[in-house]
Amino acid sequence: MSNFIVLIEIELLAICPLNRPSNHGGKLVLTASTTDSTVSTQSDSGRSERNAFNLGKSFQKLQQAVASLPPVVVVINKHSGANLILGFFIATTCLIIAVRIYVARQLRDTSPGSVADLVRRGQLRSDRRGISKPLKYEDPFNNPLVKVSNSNTSVEMCGTVYRLAPVTLTEEQRAIHQKRRSRAYQWKRPKVFLKEGDAIPPDVDPDTVRWIPANHPFATTVSDIDEDLAQNNVYQKHGVPFRIQAEHEALQKKLEALQGEQKFNKLVIDPVNAKDFERAFRTQSKSHDRAESGTQNGQLNESKPPKSDPLPENSDSNAASPKDEV
Amino acid sequence: MLSLKPPFSPHSLSPSNNPFFSFKPLLKPYFSPPQKPHFTSIKSLLQYNRKPELAGTTPRVVVITSGKGGVGKTTTTANIGISLARHGFSVVAIDADVGLRNLDLLLGLENRVNYTALEVLNGDCRLDQALVRDKRWSHFELLCISKPRSKLPLGFGGKALIWLVDALKHRNEGSPDFIIIDCPAGIDAGFITAITPANEAILVTTPDITALRDADRVTGLLECDGIKDIKMIVNRVRTDMIQGEDMMSVLDVQEMLGLALLGVIPDDTEVIRSTNRGYPLVLNKPPTLAGLAFEQAAWRLVEQDSMTAVMVEEEPKKRGFFSFFGG
Repeated sequence: MSNFIVLIEIELLAICPLNRPSNHGGKLVLTASTTDSTVSTQSDSGRSERNAFNLGKSFQKLQQAVASLPPVVVVINKHSGANLILGFFIATTCLIIAVRIYVARQLRDTSPGSVADLVRRGQLRSDRRGISKPLKYEDPFNNPLVKVSNSNTSVEMCGTVYRLAPVTLTEEQRAIHQKRRSRAYQWKRPKVFLKEGDAIPPDVDPDTVRWIPANHPFATTVSDIDEDLAQNNVYQKHGVPFRIQAEHEALQKKLEALQGEQKFNKLVIDPVNAKDFERAFRTQSKSHDRAESGTQNGQLNESKPPKSDPLPENSDSNAASPKDEV
Repeated sequence: MLSLKPPFSPHSLSPSNNPFFSFKPLLKPYFSPPQKPHFTSIKSLLQYNRKPELAGTTPRVVVITSGKGGVGKTTTTANIGISLARHGFSVVAIDADVGLRNLDLLLGLENRVNYTALEVLNGDCRLDQALVRDKRWSHFELLCISKPRSKLPLGFGGKALIWLVDALKHRNEGSPDFIIIDCPAGIDAGFITAITPANEAILVTTPDITALRDADRVTGLLECDGIKDIKMIVNRVRTDMIQGEDMMSVLDVQEMLGLALLGVIPDDTEVIRSTNRGYPLVLNKPPTLAGLAFEQAAWRLVEQDSMTAVMVEEEPKKRGFFSFFGG
C-alpha cells in the first residue's frame, strides 16, 4: 500500500503541471498551476517549499490510516457464514422480483377478451365476475381509482400524475371563431340537382344547384321512387307494407285475369270439340264429366306457369336493383 | 404503449389470474347435471349510483361528424349510444353512411340487419320492422340507411331522413330520447343528408393538423346550415406525446377550433379489441380509460355540459423502493 501511494505521488508530480497540493482542514486540495513561468515570484517559491513539506506529512498520515485498517479479504473471511446467508437472501429477492415482472408481462400480453366473451354468451353473469365486489361509482366523474389532490390541481391515475389545466376558451373567443368561419365558408344547402347539360331553372339560386356527373356511382338525379309514396311508406305504422301489398294485389289480379281468359276461351266453339258437345246433347252427364275433366286439366296446365312467373319476377326485381345501381 | 388499465382491477387480483395464489380444492364439489343452455338477456347492473338529468327537448337529434375519415365517429356513436341506453334513455342510432355501413359491426348486430331505411321508403317493410333492437339493451335500436351497393336518390335524401326522424317521434312506443346520426366522412351528399334533421352536432377530431383543418371546414358548414350547438370530442389523445411536445395539446386544439369540449378520449388498444368482439368499449368491466372517457362524454351530452379542465401529463411519478416488490 505504501508503494502504491509513492507511485501516485511520483505520477502527480511528473504528469501534470500542478501546484503542490495544499492541506485545507485535513483534506488534500490539488490546484492547477499557471504555465507561464515568468509569473513566478520569490514568494511563490517559498510557498512551494512549504507546500512540499505539507504534502509529505499528509501522505505519511494517509499511509498510517490505511495501515491501521484490516485488509478487506481478512474481514470477509472472518464472517463468511453470515455473508453467505445475506447473499442468499439478496439473490432470492432478486429472483422473486424478476419472476413477478416476467409473470406480469405475460399477463399483460395475453388477450383480455375471453371472459367478456363468456359474459356475452350468457355463461357468466356480468355482475358476479370475479370474487371481489364489482366497482361501484357514484358517477363516472367520481372514480375511486382516480386520486384527485386536495387542491384539485393534479390527478393521479394508473401511476401517472396529470395536472388539471383549466379550459381557457371564453365567449368572446367563440364569437371571434364563428365570425371567422362565417367569412371563410359561404355555403348554401343544395336543393336542385341537375345532370350535365341541363339548364338552370330561372327562379333557382345558382348557389343551391349541384351538378351531378352521369357516371357517378352513388347518385341519381332521377328519383325512382315517388316522393309522396315514400313519405307515406315511412309514416305507415300498421298493416302490410305498400310494395308487398301492391305486389300481392297485382298477382291476384293477374290470376283472376288468367282465370277469366280461360273461361272466355272455353265459350268459343271449337269445331274439333263441337262433335263432342253434340254428342253431349244426347248423353248430357257424360259430356259434362268430360268437359269438367278437360277444364280441370287445362287449369292445372295453365296455372303452373303463372305461379312460376312471379318467382323470376321477384328474383329479377331483387337482382335488378343492384344491377341498376352498379 | 402506455398501459391504460387501472392497476387495482379485480380482474388482475382474482385467484385464477395470480399464479402466486393459485390453489386447487382438495375435494371436487358435487355439480348438478348440466342443464340445457338457454340464452338469457344479459343486463349489467348499473355501474353508477345516480343518473344524469336530461336537458333540452326530446327527441334530441345529434349528428356525429368529423369531415376527415377514420378519426372515430362510428366508435363514438356506438359507445355514446350504448352508454345512454345503459342509463335508461331510449336511443335510436342511425347509420347514415349510404354505401359503407360500419355501425352494425361495432355493435355486433351485423347478422340482424335485414331491412334498412331504403326498404322502408320502397314500401318493402314498415319502419318498426327495419329497427334492430339490441337484445342486450332493450332501449337501444339501430337503423341503417341502406345496404352496401345501393343508393339513395340525392334529391330527397335529406327529406327522407327528416321523415324518418319525424316518424320515430310519433311512433306508438313513444318518442326516443336521443336520435344519434353517424355521419359519413366528407362534405358531399352523404354529409348533407345526415345533417339535415339534426339540432346538435358532435365534432370528432384528432389532435393532428389534417383532421383539424377538415374539422374547421365542417364546423363552418354546420353553422351555415343552422346548427349552432356544436361540441367537440378530441379522440386518440396521447398524453405522453403531448408532454414530449410531439402532439398538439387539447387546449391547442380548442384554441384553433373555438368549440366547447365534450370529451377527451385517450388512445387505447382496447378499441380495436372491442371492435373485434362486437362489444362496445363502455361495457368493459372494469372500465378502461377510453371507456370511462366515453361515459363522461355521454354524461355531459345528456346534461348539455362541457369540460372545464383537461388533464396534462406531468413528470413520471417517482417510485419508492418497495414499488419493485409490488411490480
